[in-house]
Amino acid sequence: MLALACGTFVGSMAWAAASYALLGKEAPDFALHAAVGENIRLSEHRGEVIVLSFWGSHCAPCDTQLAALDRSLKTYESAGLRIFGVGVDDDAARALDFAKAQSVGFPMLLDPKKAVGRSYRVDNLPMTVLIDRGGAVRYVHRDYTPKSDAQYLNELRELLNE
Amino acid sequence: MRFITLLASFAIIGFPAFGQDAAPTAAAEPAATDTRGLDQEVQDLKKDVVDLNRDLFVLEEELLFPANTQVAVFVSMDIGEFFALDSIALKIDQKEVVNYLYTPREAQALLKGGVQRLYLGNLKVGEHELVALFNGKGPNGLDYQRGANIKFEKGIGAKYLELKINDRQRKQQPEFEIKDWE
Repeated sequence: MLALACGTFVGSMAWAAASYALLGKEAPDFALHAAVGENIRLSEHRGEVIVLSFWGSHCAPCDTQLAALDRSLKTYESAGLRIFGVGVDDDAARALDFAKAQSVGFPMLLDPKKAVGRSYRVDNLPMTVLIDRGGAVRYVHRDYTPKSDAQYLNELRELLNE
Repeated sequence: MRFITLLASFAIIGFPAFGQDAAPTAAAEPAATDTRGLDQEVQDLKKDVVDLNRDLFVLEEELLFPANTQVAVFVSMDIGEFFALDSIALKIDQKEVVNYLYTPREAQALLKGGVQRLYLGNLKVGEHELVALFNGKGPNGLDYQRGANIKFEKGIGAKYLELKINDRQRKQQPEFEIKDWE
């Protein structure tokens, strides 16, 4: 199901952002197990710019996007950027394998009950949510192409400069 | 006549401006005093807001959880050499009421002597059962799960229970107990 969902949404970024109910609102808090490493609670990272990247093991562009986010993290980590990958896979074992296979420097969290996915209204993969230092959802992207990188970076720089 | 009007205008507009240039320190002092006064007013206002927020919070809790039905469950941890806390699931009368996942910061806060209010709810007067399931890493870093339960009598006053995680040095094992604070 996730494989079908992945990449089927091809609407414009503007449309995606306009229809997202959480824009400008406080990001829902959560605590999740990481596939490797420590548990993460979102509210403990208030004051930092957060990127939540929702992924699934069947999602082809997720690999590429996670690698691109890892490059951004290396550049902007010292400025207060934190990235969390959130797996919303149906198959827990497959999600764990996928998470461990990614050579990224940020925590890969597992959301087997999809409670976090529901609270962030994930309807396509990969989906990326950008949260500002005050804890408000500022940008959302419901698809990914290599061309998206420039837009991500502009938005990240804007949030990091606030 | 026109000259007199012009002179009068100069006297009204020009002289005060000249006076300000002539004595800048005299004007700056009242301004600084005004700013300090304003700062104090803002601080007082902030304090009033904080006090009001606290009162509203207490009022809300009293309304939502009146003393005659209130049940609160607290968690404390001592030493933690044999157990690294990951999560606690709490059941009251067979019903799961909370499943809390701990981050390293929260676990550290408990080890430093912090006491967490894990659950606050309402229960009727009578006998109830509480079951707590503790998940984490035990001795040698292995996955470790233990349970503890207590049957307690809920009276007309508030009921406070404490989940205590201790190290039992003799057995080199963690110990889990539930204390009823009556």
